[in-house]
Amino acid sequence: MPPRSRLPLAFSVPKVEDRHNEDSFHRSTKGVYALSDGASVSFDSASWARILVRRYTQDPEFTREWLSAAISEFRQLYDRDSLPWMQQASFDKGSFASLLGVRIIDGGRLIQVLSVGDSLAVLCDGDRIKATFPLSAASEFTRSPQLICTNPTENAFLDEVDLEYDLVADWTFRGLKQPALLCMTDALGHWLLSQRDCDPSPISVLRKVRTPKAFARFVQEERAAGRMKRDDTTLMALW
Amino acid sequence: MPYQAEISRENPTCFLFVIDQSGSMDEITETGRSKAAFVADVLNKTLYTLVTNCSKADGVRNYFDLGVIAYGGSEVISGFGGVLSGDIVHPIHAISEHTLRVEERRKKMDDGAGGVIELKTKFPVWFDPKSAGGTPMRAALSKTIETVAHWCESHPGSYPPTILHVTDGQSTDGAPEEMADGLRQISTKDGQTLLFNLHVNTGGGLEIVFPISETGLNDEYSRMLFRMSSPLPAHLAKFAGDKGYAIADGSRGFIFNGDPQCIVDFFEIGTRPKLVADR
Repeated sequence: MPPRSRLPLAFSVPKVEDRHNEDSFHRSTKGVYALSDGASVSFDSASWARILVRRYTQDPEFTREWLSAAISEFRQLYDRDSLPWMQQASFDKGSFASLLGVRIIDGGRLIQVLSVGDSLAVLCDGDRIKATFPLSAASEFTRSPQLICTNPTENAFLDEVDLEYDLVADWTFRGLKQPALLCMTDALGHWLLSQRDCDPSPISVLRKVRTPKAFARFVQEERAAGRMKRDDTTLMALW
Repeated sequence: MPYQAEISRENPTCFLFVIDQSGSMDEITETGRSKAAFVADVLNKTLYTLVTNCSKADGVRNYFDLGVIAYGGSEVISGFGGVLSGDIVHPIHAISEHTLRVEERRKKMDDGAGGVIELKTKFPVWFDPKSAGGTPMRAALSKTIETVAHWCESHPGSYPPTILHVTDGQSTDGAPEEMADGLRQISTKDGQTLLFNLHVNTGGGLEIVFPISETGLNDEYSRMLFRMSSPLPAHLAKFAGDKGYAIADGSRGFIFNGDPQCIVDFFEIGTRPKLVADR
């Protein structure tokens, strides 16, 4: 029975307890979900990530105009000229974040995944991974993924791609016995892809996580075992 | 494997700039400015970039400790003025708060809608050019050893300090090589202190950039500076290669007869951090 109208479960834990979490997620009842991983070494990636996920769930047509409007909204948060020099310089340099957006269309007949950066979407059937996007191996995670920036100059890489095709994967729940869709930021994505051949499967491990407390404990245990990178960590799961 | 430690607020690294301010640094470069003025400008820009990279909406994160040792005449002193002059090394948030002055400049930026806008930008200055007297390189490196040893003692798990030494002439207070050897021996658990040497020149001559051996270096002075320099760790070698320099296994962090562009690149490559936590 494909998941349809429910909101996905969503959990997020910061890199360090009591520190600000720069990941963000948003879920609409219309079957549009988004998560974003704000890059810490930039001016205000938490706000930028929040703007991206909220705007995506309101309007999932990712275009250059969409991005310009998001940048304008971010710029209105600050009075650039009144910032101290170091913050002004950092503001000009830009804030960076990934964007992973999902649209569930027609009860799962079509699942459209948009991804910029290294947040990962995973399509599962039972405990088997059917597809992942945009990365397919743990080794593909790098220290400097291309992220969306509030400084338009840094988004030049988007001029080189077709936004409707190159950044998008089309999946379906049809034909799957026990379909599930997972969205996660890079620490968890790296963990999942590096554990994909393990027993028990990483999907079955995540399937058991049903509460924020359980998620925090799972992340803590995997970090302690050295299997998961210490970073803000977010999961959205439509089981 | 050395040079793998993640740089974080809990485990910052240290960049120390050792700057020759001897009399010959007043020679004019092809930019029309003296070597001292050009180096001061590049150093201010480097500090600006490092601070900017650590700045967030809620403040400056202490990923780096920074220091400047200036030497010339009979002096070896902190290159910072004002309240920073009392110590050599300071956390980056203190550097950000204590500039000599903040100048206003203009820069052009993409407006996000296909146009370009000109913005007023604040540009901080910490370091003014100075050039007088001899070249007490040995004393400067001795002060560097003292500073680095103290820093490593209190940061045993950190990525080790990186020393960027800029000079245009020979030491006038004795051979500096043994000091450089001693400096490179000081280490954290993540590896030995990195010492990179830049020799700046105004009179032409063959430019030698990141060499792998003494072959091709014409005199004992340049050969000594080569021996004084650390090999580039892999991530810096890659970055230098990406900037178009011919890099091979064992390339040293050493430039001889460097022109102004080399000065800029030397600072940029030398201060490229390995892994800053939270990309």
